[in-house]
Amino acid sequence: MRPLDGTRILDFTHVLAGPFATRVLGDLGADVVKVNSASRTNTNAPGSPYYVMWNRNKRALALDMSRDEARGVCRRLCAKADVVIDNFTVGVLDRWGVGYDSVREENPGVIYVQMSGMGSVGPWSNFVTYAPTIHALAGLTYLTSVPGREDIGIGFSYNDHQAGLHGAVAILAALEARRATGQGQRVDLSQFEVGVNAVGPALLDYFANGRAAEPGGNRLPWDEAAPHGCFPCGGATSEHPADERWVAIACMTDAHWEGLRKVMGDPEWSRDPSLATAAGRLARERDVEAGVGAWTSGLDSTEVMERCQAAGVPAGVVQTGVDLVEHDPQLARSRFLREIEDPHPTAGTTHADRLPIYFERTPCDRYERTREIGEDNAAVLAEWLGMPATEVRDGEDAGYLT
Amino acid sequence: MTHGALEGVRVVDLTDERAIYGAKLLADLGADVVRPEPPQGDPLRDRGPLMDGAPTETGSLWHAFFASSRRFFAVDPGTDAGAAQLRLLIDRADIVLANTGTFALEAAQLDDACARRPDLVVVEVSSFGPDGPWSDYLAPDLVAGALGGAVATTGDVDTPPLKAFGELNFMVSGAYAAIAALAGLNCVRRTGVGQRIHVPVHECIASALEHVFMWHWYQDHIGVARKPVLERRGSLHWTNAYQVMGAATGAVMVTPIPELDGQLVWLLEHGLGEELLDARLQLPEHRRELLDRLMDTLREWVASEDPEALFLEAQSRHLPYGHVKRLDEVADNPHLAARDWWESYPVDGERAVRGPGAPYQFSATPWSVRSPGDADRDTDEILDAIGWEDGR
Repeated sequence: MRPLDGTRILDFTHVLAGPFATRVLGDLGADVVKVNSASRTNTNAPGSPYYVMWNRNKRALALDMSRDEARGVCRRLCAKADVVIDNFTVGVLDRWGVGYDSVREENPGVIYVQMSGMGSVGPWSNFVTYAPTIHALAGLTYLTSVPGREDIGIGFSYNDHQAGLHGAVAILAALEARRATGQGQRVDLSQFEVGVNAVGPALLDYFANGRAAEPGGNRLPWDEAAPHGCFPCGGATSEHPADERWVAIACMTDAHWEGLRKVMGDPEWSRDPSLATAAGRLARERDVEAGVGAWTSGLDSTEVMERCQAAGVPAGVVQTGVDLVEHDPQLARSRFLREIEDPHPTAGTTHADRLPIYFERTPCDRYERTREIGEDNAAVLAEWLGMPATEVRDGEDAGYLT
Repeated sequence: MTHGALEGVRVVDLTDERAIYGAKLLADLGADVVRPEPPQGDPLRDRGPLMDGAPTETGSLWHAFFASSRRFFAVDPGTDAGAAQLRLLIDRADIVLANTGTFALEAAQLDDACARRPDLVVVEVSSFGPDGPWSDYLAPDLVAGALGGAVATTGDVDTPPLKAFGELNFMVSGAYAAIAALAGLNCVRRTGVGQRIHVPVHECIASALEHVFMWHWYQDHIGVARKPVLERRGSLHWTNAYQVMGAATGAVMVTPIPELDGQLVWLLEHGLGEELLDARLQLPEHRRELLDRLMDTLREWVASEDPEALFLEAQSRHLPYGHVKRLDEVADNPHLAARDWWESYPVDGERAVRGPGAPYQFSATPWSVRSPGDADRDTDEILDAIGWEDGR
C-alpha cells in the first residue's frame, strides 16, 4: 500500500510545474491519468527526455479535445475524479466544457486545481509564463546574482518545482478538508505568487524598514557569516567551466572560523585578531576569501570537504550532475537514482530520481516508466467509466481517443 | 466563520531552518501548529532581517514569516516537568514535524510516542538521511545547495558558482516535509495507522534541479548536450531559448518560445530579422541555428528598448517575457495589488508588517496568516489543554 492508493487524479498539466505536482502524487500511489494527445510536440512530446523526466508513475489517456466525443468522455472522467488539475493559462478547460462550475455540478467532491502562471483573476491573469518569467518578475533573478549585474538568476527552473510541490501540498490539504466536510473545492494556484513567497523575509524587510535587498553573491543578506562562499579547487580536467572544481565553505559562527583556521594549518594571515569575529572578517571579506581560496586552490574539493567537516566546519563539494550520479555516496546508498526496469518503447532505458520521502509503513519505491500517448486508454476507461474495450477501439479508430 | 483546510489538525513543530517552511505551510492552511521553544526563546527569533527599533527577541521579520500562524510553547526539556509536558503535548498531536538534532527532540522520545500512539505521524527531516558517510555533516543552505547540485548550475562563467538568494533550498525540503506529513495523515484517515517518515534535505534538493539529471541520462537525445554537465552560464536556459538580456535600462527575460513565428513577425515589424526567413532555416534540421540566430537578433534589439514596455507588449503577443524586477518593484506590483494579495504579518507583539499572501487560494477553506501566539499566554493555554496541573 502507498499513501494515496485509490486517489484518482485527472491530469491536464504540461511542461514542468503541473507535471511535477502530479509526479509527486503518482509516486505517493495516486492513480494519475495524464491526458494527452498526438498533437503535442517538443518538450511535451511523450518520449522526449523532458517529458520522460516528469511523467513517470502516471497512466496515459489520449483525448483529442478538439472533438466533441472526446469532450464527452472527458466530462464523464471529471465526474469520477477526486482531483482535476491543469496548468494552462486560465480559461482553457472552460472552453473544453470542463470548467470548475460544470464539473462540480456532477461531482461536488471534486478538488479542482488550476496552476496558472498568474492566478485566475487580475490584470495579468492571461499572461504566459515559464519559470524564467516568474523568476524575473518575482525578484529571484535580480537577487540571485553578484553586485552590479542583473542578468544571472537561478540556473534552472526552481519555481516550476516549487509550484509543483505547492500544488501537491494544496491537493493533500484539500483532500483532508473534504474528509471533514464532504465537499470539494477549487484551488487557484498562482505560480507567480509561489515565486514571490520565496523572497518573503526580504519583502517584510522592505515593507517594515524600507530596505530593498540587493544581490550579494554568496554572502548572506542578513546574517554575519564569513567566509561564506565557493572556493576554487584543483583537479579541473580542462578550462571548460563544467570541469571546474569548487568547494562551498560556510563559517556560520566564530567557532567554525577557528576550526577552519586549524584545518588550513593556521596560516599567518588568519591569526590577525581582527578576524576573530564575523564582523571583522566581513570588514576584510576580500582578504579572507583570497586567503581561503589560495589554500583550497591546490587541494582536491572532496579532501577540503572531508577535512573541514571532520573539524566541525560546514563545507561541501559543489557537485555537478556527474558527481550526483556517479560519485555521491549518500545518493548511492539510498538508491536515489535508478534505472526503470521496463524499457520505454521509443526512449529505451529511462531513469528515475526517487521521491525523497521514506515512509516506514507505506514505502513509495515503485517507479514505472512514462507511458506513450493513449497506451492506457483501455484500462483507464474500463476502470473509471466501465467502457467496453470495443468502444475504446471504436474511439481510437474514429480518432478522438488519440 | 470559515476555516482553513487543515482546521482541527494538530501539529507539534520541532523544526529548524531545514523544515520550518513546511510547518508554515501547514499552519497557514489552518492546522493548530504548536512550536515548543526554550524558556529563553527560540534561537530563530534572532534571525535577520529585524524590524528597526524593535527588541531583537520580538523583532525578527524572518521569524514572523517562517513561524507564522503558530502557537508557542515555552518548555525546558531538560527538566522532568518539561519533558513530561512535551510528551503530553505530543500525545495530543496528529503530526510531529521535526529536524534531527533540534531542540527538545531527545526529550520528545519519539520512539516511545509512536508506541503509545500508533496513529501518530512523525516526520523527521535530516540533512543527508539517518546513515551514510555524510549523515553527520553540517549543511547550512549554501553547503546543502552545493552538495545537492543547485549551486553548480547557478552563476556565470566569470563568477563563482552561486547560491540562490535566501534559503530556497530549505524551502524545497520544507515543502517536501509538508507533503510527507499530509500523505502520512492521509494514511491515518484511511487505515488508522500512523508511521515515521524520513525526509533527507540532500535528496529534496537533488530532486528539483530541472535539467541536471536529464542532461546526464539523456545526453544523446538532447541536441545541444555536448557534455554530461551543462556549465553554469548566467541566465541562458538549457534550451538556449530563454535569456535575460540587457535593455535600455534594466533587463528583460526574453524568449521566443512558444510563439516563434509570432516573435519573428514582431521583429519584422521593426525591420529586423529578415534574414531569418531564409527557407533553409525553416527546415526542422536547422531549427537550432534559427533559434541561435534569432536570440542574437533579439539581444541587439532589446538593448535599446524600454524593458517594461517590451515586457507588456510581449505578453500581449503571448510571449512569456519577464521584466527583471528589483524588490521594491515586486512590492509595487499592480497585479498583486489588484488581487489584494498582500497579507499582514504581526511582529513585535503590537505592530504588523505587510508580507506575502497565499501561494494558493482555496474557494471553501481560505488560507490565512493568523496572529502568532504570545509565548506566555500560549504556554498557559497549552498546559491547560494537556491537563498539566503540577506546580501552577
